[in-house]
Amino acid sequence: MIDLLNAKTLQVTDGSNLNWETAITKAAQPLVDQNTIESTYVDSIINVVKDKGPYMNIGPQIALAHARPDDSVHEIGLSLLKTNSSVNLVDDKHPVKLWFVLAATDSQSHLSVIQQLMGLLTDDDAVQALLEADSVDQILAVLQKH
Amino acid sequence: MKILAVCQSGLGSSFMVQMNIQAVLKAENVDTSDIQVDHSDVGSATADSADYFFVESTLADAVSSLPKDRVILLKTLIDKKETKQHVNDILDKEGIEYTAE
Repeated sequence: MIDLLNAKTLQVTDGSNLNWETAITKAAQPLVDQNTIESTYVDSIINVVKDKGPYMNIGPQIALAHARPDDSVHEIGLSLLKTNSSVNLVDDKHPVKLWFVLAATDSQSHLSVIQQLMGLLTDDDAVQALLEADSVDQILAVLQKH
Repeated sequence: MKILAVCQSGLGSSFMVQMNIQAVLKAENVDTSDIQVDHSDVGSATADSADYFFVESTLADAVSSLPKDRVILLKTLIDKKETKQHVNDILDKEGIEYTAE
């Protein structure tokens, strides 16, 4: 179980009314609400995608949205928004249903979170179950089982 | 030999690729005493930083200053099979022994 993913930081939504910018903003909202990050961190993420492209589409249907550590990040954070319909990250070559937002305070301290996340995302059965989950409880069940 | 995983920020994605490369080397019983694997952001990677660079393919333009024959463009960062194929190609090229599964 990834400690930072819990009932507060997980969300499931329909997604058909979202574009990639609003999807990232919504995915990051719990981190803003619990004061892990400032909303300017979300702006940084969106700007880096606009500037550099959809490189944060790290696997099929998976985005890991993040920007560089700066003053707008107060502590390490991770959140996940699952959209039931795919939302295109920039273009239709990059459809995404699992929107992870990662906040790091420096270049080292979040590496164990990445390790945990990689363990999850390289487990094809777990990823499939996350893609099929349509409630926060179902996602929690996948995370607990993993 | 040094392999460097590169991504835009040098924070998350490149470390994921680094972990996958290390997992492949371990699974294939490669002697890693002379093999270094690290990760970095695209801005700090120069031709001298490493012998091979693993880069997500949408960053191809950003790494155009790196020697093309030493740059491996990955379609899917977290795909272990894809990473493994590229690692094996490098090991073959460098004449480093490994256990094929």
